[in-house]
Amino acid sequence: MPGHRTRIRNCGRIALLAALLAACQPGEDAEPTASAVARRLPVVFTVSYPLAWMADRIGGEAIEVVFPAPDDVDPAHWQPTPETILNYQGADLVLLNGAGYAAWVQFAALSPGKLVDTSRGLSARLIPAGEATHSHGPGGAHDHRNVASHTWLDPIFAAAQAKAIASALEVHVPNAPAGLERLQADLAHLDARLAAVFRGWSDAGVLYSHPVYQYLDARYGLAGWSVSWEPDEHPSDAEWQRLAERLRNQRASVMLWEGEPSPATTAKLRELGITPVVFETGAWTPAQGDYLTLMQQNIERLTEARIDGGNEHHP
Amino acid sequence: MTDILYLAWRYLLFNRWKTAVLITAITVTMFLPLALELVLERSTERLRARAAATPLLLGAPGSPLELVLSSLYFNGEVPATLSYGTVQAIGDTGLATAIPLQIGSRVGGKPVVGTSPDYFSFRELTVARGRPIALPGEALLGAAAARTLEVSPGESVVTESETVFDVTGSYPLKLHVVGVLNANGTPDDEAVFVDVRTAWIIDGIGHGHEDLSRPEAAANVLQRDGENIVANAAVIQYREITSTNLRDFHFHGDISDFPLDAIIAVPADDKSGVLLEGRYQAPTTSVQAIRPVVVMDELLATVFTVRQYVLAAVGLVGVATFATIALVFVLSARLRRGEIDTMKRIGAAPGRIGAMLGAEIALVLATSVVFAGTLTWFATLWGESLLHWMLSAGA
Amino acid sequence: MISIKHLEFRYPRGGFRLRLAALDIAERERVAVVGASGSGKTTLLELIAGIRRPGAGVIEVAGQDLAVLTDRQRRGFRVRRVGLIFQAFELLDYLNVRDNIMLPYRISPDLEATDATAPRLEQMTRDMGIIERLERFPHELSQGERQRVAICRALITAPDLILADEPTGNLDPDNKQRVLKLLLDQVERHAATLVMVTHDHDLLAPFDRVLDMRALHGVTNP
Repeated sequence: MPGHRTRIRNCGRIALLAALLAACQPGEDAEPTASAVARRLPVVFTVSYPLAWMADRIGGEAIEVVFPAPDDVDPAHWQPTPETILNYQGADLVLLNGAGYAAWVQFAALSPGKLVDTSRGLSARLIPAGEATHSHGPGGAHDHRNVASHTWLDPIFAAAQAKAIASALEVHVPNAPAGLERLQADLAHLDARLAAVFRGWSDAGVLYSHPVYQYLDARYGLAGWSVSWEPDEHPSDAEWQRLAERLRNQRASVMLWEGEPSPATTAKLRELGITPVVFETGAWTPAQGDYLTLMQQNIERLTEARIDGGNEHHP
Repeated sequence: MTDILYLAWRYLLFNRWKTAVLITAITVTMFLPLALELVLERSTERLRARAAATPLLLGAPGSPLELVLSSLYFNGEVPATLSYGTVQAIGDTGLATAIPLQIGSRVGGKPVVGTSPDYFSFRELTVARGRPIALPGEALLGAAAARTLEVSPGESVVTESETVFDVTGSYPLKLHVVGVLNANGTPDDEAVFVDVRTAWIIDGIGHGHEDLSRPEAAANVLQRDGENIVANAAVIQYREITSTNLRDFHFHGDISDFPLDAIIAVPADDKSGVLLEGRYQAPTTSVQAIRPVVVMDELLATVFTVRQYVLAAVGLVGVATFATIALVFVLSARLRRGEIDTMKRIGAAPGRIGAMLGAEIALVLATSVVFAGTLTWFATLWGESLLHWMLSAGA
Repeated sequence: MISIKHLEFRYPRGGFRLRLAALDIAERERVAVVGASGSGKTTLLELIAGIRRPGAGVIEVAGQDLAVLTDRQRRGFRVRRVGLIFQAFELLDYLNVRDNIMLPYRISPDLEATDATAPRLEQMTRDMGIIERLERFPHELSQGERQRVAICRALITAPDLILADEPTGNLDPDNKQRVLKLLLDQVERHAATLVMVTHDHDLLAPFDRVLDMRALHGVTNP
């Protein structure tokens, strides 16, 4: 499974293609690559699904976009196999998210000239995510400063990244960035819709299951706070205890989850007056639809939750 | 004819020591200028070809020759470094592809060359066995290096410790050999290639150790002040990068400040090359851009001048040697007057006697030519490493 | 075999002069030539051998007037018809005994070894007692052995005439007699004519005739 290539050509076909590739038949796996070689399309590799989606929207048929992370791994913490890294080496361009996303890139042998950090030049808009320094021996203190990395959750940030992708593509495919304007329009529209949904949420109290929503939070002024709970793990008693303690000082009526939490967790949260809502980040390739579809589903779930939450907190 | 050759042969064989001395003297006299000329010709050709194949080289200000010798021939060290940020800066201009070079430690005497995957496509190096470098800690060996170090993909090599006075705290690093390159007859054959990050780790700039916030490391933690953790120097420094500890490796500081010995810039076209060169020619820049072929041509011009003098000297010695040898033959003919006289009395044709003496000289000369030719052939095989050594000793 | 008339010879730069009114030596005759040093004994041999040309007079050897021959022809005549033996043996130090004996064949275009040459070499060296020494070099031989090799070299071409210039001069008394006997045996066996220069009166007995240079009236020594 690791190392397989997913060719994103048409948003509607992704699900079908993903299903085919999930079957992992080498013959089917090789076909799109071979056709790309025959046509000598510029090959663009990315480190996250949103980047792949944006590159595909911008470049369209003029490029081949590959995002090879397997579906069962969070691309943010993925470590590609050497073979996959060699595939990245063969690309014409490698789109990075920047902001420390996909740390494996820092240690992969990739040619600097092919790397495009789509957050470069946007450092002023990066959000710090805690600091940690350590020192040992005579070397003095080491600084391991981190920034939040799921930048695209702010659609305006994503639009800026799209622009960086477009300029990088321009070098390889002179008239490729044809799709940029429509993409930016779509992102602006997404921003407007999210803004509409989140209006007034800062008062409700937003809790995040994981510290990945910083850019969403900042963009829409949600002033939420975060624990580090995994959707597929039932939190321990100690964790519930800590949550209860924090709830004395901090409000929370909605909790955003990257995936569906267990029914037990959901039930216990509801007891505490918290409505769990799944808000997928889109970091990895969706089972069906594309990034916009995914966000549409997020908005629908939020709207639904808001109705519930609204009933509870704003009678 | 057979009789003449037979007599000449018997004479030379009987006087074998005298013959050996003569052949040695003539061989050396012919071999020296011949080998010098051929070796210089061939090696300068190759040296120049390598330089000509490298369009633009960037380094810290300093001796351009040292920069070229170090970055193209992995010979000697550069006096100063430039920062990795320059690679990014060149990339941003869109004028050229920038290939970083960081040549630090050695493995069994072979230079460890840290670079990016672009280097291999630029030098048209292909993998003979195994695969290219994907991760830190992996090494791709030149054909000759693999042969000398007697390693194959799947095995490993260990970098040599730096000097005992090295204060940066670098440790020998075990490198996993993932591939061996096809030979291309350049210094690349002798190199141990690693990713530039591996070169930094070898230099002690990046390193890996236990996660200090984990309980196992508690014994080494001296002070824990919130998120600020102070540990003693006994924290385990990894001597090997594996898939399990890869994540614990990290670099301290901004990667764009990290040192590079040189950058090879491959301009998109001639105009881009000129533009890029111009950019780094202002006297205030902390980076110098040079065209290696210009530097090598200057060096080779010097070599050529020296070669002329040496050849003139060797030529004079040659003339003296041949004069001495001629004298030896004349004296020998005089010493053999009695013998010649006897042959004449018995009824020898003067022509035959002359031919016999001539055959002796011819046999000596022919043998010397064969020896000198063979030696020269061997010299051209091994002469280049000799020249490299000479150049590095002189640089 | 040899017929000399009105011979006159002088060295270009020396005062030495040789005059000989007439000298005839018959076929198979064994003649010893005696005389003081500088009396022209060696010069006479060289004139007979055709190594030197006389200023005047006629030298006929085996019916051939040497004066009418070119240098080349005289060399050819000499190597085929005359065998020369020298006082100092004059062997080539870099050739073994076999090669020394065969030297005439190697240095002259006028001689070609035949089927008879090898058996002749074997017979002769056996007679001379040096067959065991064929692969040795001159420096490994005794004086007597060296002269025997020189005799073989002179006789290998089966010449009609042997000219020997003090061949025993460098030998001790025992060897003198032995080598002379061997030489005479070979001359006898090959039916050759021998002219031998010597100043050793003990050796004159076996010769048919003794020529005293002083008695030949021709030599002037200023």
